[in-house]
Amino acid sequence: MIILDLALMLITAYFVGFIYYGLYRNITARFQRRIGPTIFQSFYDSIKFFGKKEAISHGWMFYLGPIIMATGAIMTLFFIPFFYQSESFSGLSGYGNLFLVLYLMLLGPLGNAMGVGVGGNPFGVMGVTRGLTRLFALELPFYIAVVAIMSISQSADIATIAGSQTTINAFAHPLLFIAALFSFVAMMGQSPFDVVGAPVEVYSGPASEFSGKFLSLLMSQSAIFSFAKLVLMVNLFLGGADGFFELLWKTFVLFLFVIAFGAIYGRFKTPQSVDFLIKVPTVIAIVGLIFATAWGN
Amino acid sequence: MRVLSLIISLLALWGVSTLFGSEAHWQIDMGSFGLEGVVIGLKATALANFFALLIAIGFFSISLIASKYKLSKGFYALLYLLLVSLFLIVYAEDYLLFFVGWEVMSVTTYLLFSYDLSREALIKYIVFALASAMSLLGGIMVLYSASHSFLYTDAHQGFIALSATLQVIFILLMLFAFFIKLGVIGFHYWLMDSYEQSSDFFTPYLSAVLSKMGIYALIILLVYVVDIHMISGTWLAYTLAIMGLLSSIIATFKAVNEDSMKRLLAYSSIAQLGYIVTVLSMADGLGGALYHSLIHTLVKLLLFINIAGIIYMTARSKFSELGGLIYRMPQSFVLLLIGIISLAGMPPLAGFASKFLIYTTLLEGGNLLILSAMLFASASAFLYIYKLIYGIYLGHPTSKRYETIREVPLAFLIPQYLLSLLLIVAGVYPGIVIPYFNTILKELRLETIPFESYTILGSEMASYNGFVLMSAFVGVFVLILLFMLSLRSKAKEAKDRFDIAYCGEVPDEGTHLHYGFSMGKELKRVGFIGVILRNSSSVFYDYISRQLFGFATVFRKLYSGNLSFNFNIAALFALILLWWGLR
Amino acid sequence: MDEGFLKEQQVMESDLNSETSHKSSVDFLMDWFRRRSIFVLAYGTGCGAIEMPPTFTSRYDAERLGIRGAATPRQADVIIVSGYCSYKTLRRIIRTYEQMANPKYILALGSCTVNGGMYWDSYNTIKRLEDYLPVDMYVNGCMPRPESILEGFMALQKEIGDGKISSWQKYEDNYAFYRKNQEAVLGQTVAPAYDADWYLYDGGL
Ligand code: SF4
Repeated sequence: MIILDLALMLITAYFVGFIYYGLYRNITARFQRRIGPTIFQSFYDSIKFFGKKEAISHGWMFYLGPIIMATGAIMTLFFIPFFYQSESFSGLSGYGNLFLVLYLMLLGPLGNAMGVGVGGNPFGVMGVTRGLTRLFALELPFYIAVVAIMSISQSADIATIAGSQTTINAFAHPLLFIAALFSFVAMMGQSPFDVVGAPVEVYSGPASEFSGKFLSLLMSQSAIFSFAKLVLMVNLFLGGADGFFELLWKTFVLFLFVIAFGAIYGRFKTPQSVDFLIKVPTVIAIVGLIFATAWGN
Repeated sequence: MRVLSLIISLLALWGVSTLFGSEAHWQIDMGSFGLEGVVIGLKATALANFFALLIAIGFFSISLIASKYKLSKGFYALLYLLLVSLFLIVYAEDYLLFFVGWEVMSVTTYLLFSYDLSREALIKYIVFALASAMSLLGGIMVLYSASHSFLYTDAHQGFIALSATLQVIFILLMLFAFFIKLGVIGFHYWLMDSYEQSSDFFTPYLSAVLSKMGIYALIILLVYVVDIHMISGTWLAYTLAIMGLLSSIIATFKAVNEDSMKRLLAYSSIAQLGYIVTVLSMADGLGGALYHSLIHTLVKLLLFINIAGIIYMTARSKFSELGGLIYRMPQSFVLLLIGIISLAGMPPLAGFASKFLIYTTLLEGGNLLILSAMLFASASAFLYIYKLIYGIYLGHPTSKRYETIREVPLAFLIPQYLLSLLLIVAGVYPGIVIPYFNTILKELRLETIPFESYTILGSEMASYNGFVLMSAFVGVFVLILLFMLSLRSKAKEAKDRFDIAYCGEVPDEGTHLHYGFSMGKELKRVGFIGVILRNSSSVFYDYISRQLFGFATVFRKLYSGNLSFNFNIAALFALILLWWGLR
Repeated sequence: MDEGFLKEQQVMESDLNSETSHKSSVDFLMDWFRRRSIFVLAYGTGCGAIEMPPTFTSRYDAERLGIRGAATPRQADVIIVSGYCSYKTLRRIIRTYEQMANPKYILALGSCTVNGGMYWDSYNTIKRLEDYLPVDMYVNGCMPRPESILEGFMALQKEIGDGKISSWQKYEDNYAFYRKNQEAVLGQTVAPAYDADWYLYDGGL
């Protein structure tokens, strides 16, 4: 039974994630006054790469790198319940909690970093370094906001947090939400924080040595992972969802915001993005935390 | 000698295990030796047994690699003396024996260091070790002035009887002593050079076990003397929390910038101990502190032994001189990977369990800023953790020698396999040590950690199931692997390590491809991290030493070298004193 | 239509068409996806490189056809040789082409790639790209406008969709020929041996 549930979660995340990615490309194109690709474009890309006749590999660790990354993404998905009330689509969330999810989210990138490192491409390592540097900067405001939310709902269980919001956290604790949104934009790899895979600067960064099926696996996991992150944000700040329709529109609104944000900003340099993230959103988050704990209750 | 050390380590392990659950207790009244009312004793409490176990595990691990080092008989003798002093520290029931153990530990460590360390590093170490011992002695004396007993059981009465100022002085003296041993940031001046220059055989023990004595001493202080129930909200709690957090954050960023493997791990050690110090600032934090001590001991033994193996094979200890060893030393690579996953606190392995316990305690205690700062520090740790594995194993070899180098000897691999097995088991069964921790906590009359089953860790606020986690992880991993293998698209093995996409260029031996080892340099350009990286505590200590030197020159003037003149001055002083005394 | 060039074309095409019927369903599906997703290496040689930015940005928007840029050869399907190539550039093109994953395609722009164009008697450019690498599609003009490039892409897509292109196979099969020509202009230092591993490692040289 649980296997079926997990499989359904995975399939949903896979397709919705790819359609969101297609929408992302399409909407960005509209922002730039283009027609843009179809919404299935990312899906086509992914399948095409699976069907490439060959893919270069640099030994077993290189082979395992993307697999660990995909495992990390899927595990993250499994530990995030889609709906706060229903038994189905809750995956393994009963066996885990928010701390676990926060750490699982980091597992994939670290695993892939091994693959990138063993690939021997210095540009890849440059991208990884940028990614890890951005990572700790974006985690600081995000963690403060998440910790505050956990303390407010007195639980680290995601479904409980989602269900316990009478007014949704985004309105009840707007400062925390704003701080977390900055981090979220960075987490989704959007401008102005898209320093990791910058094609012109670092030769597309961590992905520079991955071809064919490896690249495709990375694309698929990124679609799944993005959807998982969206669901997490919805659960934490937007009051969770009680059905597919609610989940889809909430995640889509969030996603649209991220796209719009990304479409109008240029790219920071790495130190700039770190500097920004550990200053502005962090201060907002700390003020939000003080409000939420001292005056909130 | 090697076999003897192995036998002794096994004996130590066996000895400690026999003491588990026993109430072994030995006490002696020193009155018969002319010291009225002084009672000293040894007692195998559950807490002492736990730390004794860490000592024994550490000693067992390093005695396995001893066969690869040419160590003199004197070195072994000192090592055994050190072992005795450590057991004395943990099993002591009173501050007198504790102090004796502490002092013997410091001095034997000094003598062990003297085999390898440079003069400067040695002087740094001994100055700090003596300062630690003296301030410990001072603290004990202050306490004795009120309690008139060295026993831990009387310590709390004595502490309460002290005046408020003396309490502060006592605590400061004790904290100073223990912070030096722990290498809390600001007090770590001696630590870096000692870790870097000490024998690779000894460094694992130094980081994994000797630093834990500081934790043990801190726990003794907080539990027996100060009473950890009353600690919350006091200045002591804030001091511990702030010093611990500063240690974890500053040391983490310092570690990123290191080029030497051992220095990087030394900073990592400081950062990890910082978590433990922080969590000790809470009454409920002891469980997390014990768990993290255990994991940190295992992880640091694993990592330092791994690095010892690398240095043994390559005779290089800097990232800039290594690289690309993965396919030459696959077993070492995988073992280091297990080590760093645990160090980072990544979920399927045991590192997550201890961090999770710490986080939930902090969350339940409502220490939100501390919790977020700690999460931040452990997320920042990924940078140096990746640097560690990249600099050694990934990327490109920086020397042609590494293309034919062989796997490290079995002597290095065996302890690593054992340790990583422990880490994996504790990852699948995160609750496996909780019953034992609960006996410790019960003995200390503290709140116990909720325990359901071996696979589940956590309280009603948050819990996770290690078994489900691990099986889901392995399941998903295997499924994806099978899917990838079943694809028609074949993975074409690169025939040469230079077969990389390099903007159409063809890199060759002369191309500098391993520059990833210097990652972290750009952090200097980021505001507050730059401040951390540019400054160091050595500025402060240099200032102190300059001042001391100036002060000493004044005294030196008194001693002109002319003996009779000095004798006359001394006689004059004596006369004045005599006159003053008679009056 | 009964004679001359058009007839010849028809004969050739019918030949290719009969081949497609032997495709397995998986191949058919894969070709369908390959056709809809084309990653072009961001690499420009010669004058034609200047026409590529408009092709890919808002004015002509190649992305609506599923054509987008890729930074590294590992991810690219198509490399555009956009005009004359000097010997120096040729070395990079060969290296890059050999690093791309099969199936891969070459699109050549301008008359310079066909016969040298106005660089016919230049001392340091090659004349016929065909001699060095298997070209799948030529877009003529000096230089071709983005419309023509898009048309070239669409023709390429059609051929890919029909499964007619196997130029990479041709390159591997006739490597000795290509290598000889490459060495004639570039000397022994063409591309490293591991690039052409199918030839030089597996029972080749
Ligand atoms: S064909 Fe014309 S535009 Fe193209 S490279 Fe040659 S000269 Fe330049």
